[in-house]
Amino acid sequence: MHPAISEPSKRTVAISGSFFRLIPGILLLTVIGYAGKVTEQSITTYGKAHHIALPNIEYVLWAILFGLIVSNTIGIPAMFRAGVDTYEFWLKIGIVFQGVRFMVGDVLRLGGTSLVFVAIELAVSIALMTWLGRRFGLSEKLTSLLAIGSSICGVSAIIASRGAIDADDEEVSYAIGAILALGAFSLLAFPAIGHALHMSDSTFGMWAGLAVDNTAEATAAGALYSDAAGKFAVLAKTTRNATIGFVVLAYSLYWAKKNGGKEIANKGAFLWQKFPKFVLGFIGISLLASLSVFNKAQMTDLANLSRWAFLLTFAGVGLRTDLREIRKQGLRPLFVGAVGEFAIAGLTLAMLLGAAPLLHF
Amino acid sequence: MRKISVDWLAVIGAIALTFLVWAGALPDIPW
Repeated sequence: MHPAISEPSKRTVAISGSFFRLIPGILLLTVIGYAGKVTEQSITTYGKAHHIALPNIEYVLWAILFGLIVSNTIGIPAMFRAGVDTYEFWLKIGIVFQGVRFMVGDVLRLGGTSLVFVAIELAVSIALMTWLGRRFGLSEKLTSLLAIGSSICGVSAIIASRGAIDADDEEVSYAIGAILALGAFSLLAFPAIGHALHMSDSTFGMWAGLAVDNTAEATAAGALYSDAAGKFAVLAKTTRNATIGFVVLAYSLYWAKKNGGKEIANKGAFLWQKFPKFVLGFIGISLLASLSVFNKAQMTDLANLSRWAFLLTFAGVGLRTDLREIRKQGLRPLFVGAVGEFAIAGLTLAMLLGAAPLLHF
Repeated sequence: MRKISVDWLAVIGAIALTFLVWAGALPDIPW
């Protein structure tokens, strides 16, 4: 894998003296994220003081933009890289705390609804990506990676399945590059479409959670629209992430058979191994909130902790997006990914807009 | 060297912080 395309999901973290190596990068995430927040507040304050109606650009966009500028101009010096990679940790801790904003009943109701949409989205995106990959002559392994990446949760899903598919590093880089490039585009396109269609916060959030591939970008796209939309995006995306094990298992079985490799003996253990455990944390916090374990001030504190964690995540999204690398990846996988994503975004949007009046989002 | 997944680390970290908030051990978290 090309070093410039950072592999965000290391899956494991060594607990050792290396903690100190993380500090410079975490400070960089904090500084960039906080600069985004200060910029949003300063523009609002300036507008109010001078009675000018300035557009309210969320801190999310500023944080991503500042991160992009740093990574694509001066680059990220080596001493910061390990800490910048922790953005995935902040994302997950932020998602767990988002649980406080949902009662368990809501999680079950909206999660159940999301699951139906997720099932349709999975079937369509896998079929479509497989067809497109064949049509445009991509290798079968790359096609599998793109199908997994676009159907579930982007980079983590690609990394979770790379071993089973036995894909080349180059193919993994291509797939990750394409998913990240499309994620960056979604950040601009989704909120613009949402505003053009006057979508409600809940419908938009569900759409972002269902159609934007990478968890960080899906969360950011929701938060860019509104705070409430961000909350729904997290729920829909979390539901989608929960299915990762099943899809990766299916692909692993297919490739094990094809490559004559060893079969997966214990499928239950495999599913548990691939299951995103932070989903359990999200449900746990939601359960505690539903049981009135927290008072109102504590609920606000937990929701705010989630926002701070996301602040670092969004800075990380900008910092790890290297536009030069994406350009180098070649156009074909990107084109296949873009056509597929466009169709998936259209389909999920149509499903949600069609179902919204029935579901009272 | 002991290793732990990022997912579990996030869950453990969140539980620890939640406990501190619940116990009133942290100041109010502003936004």
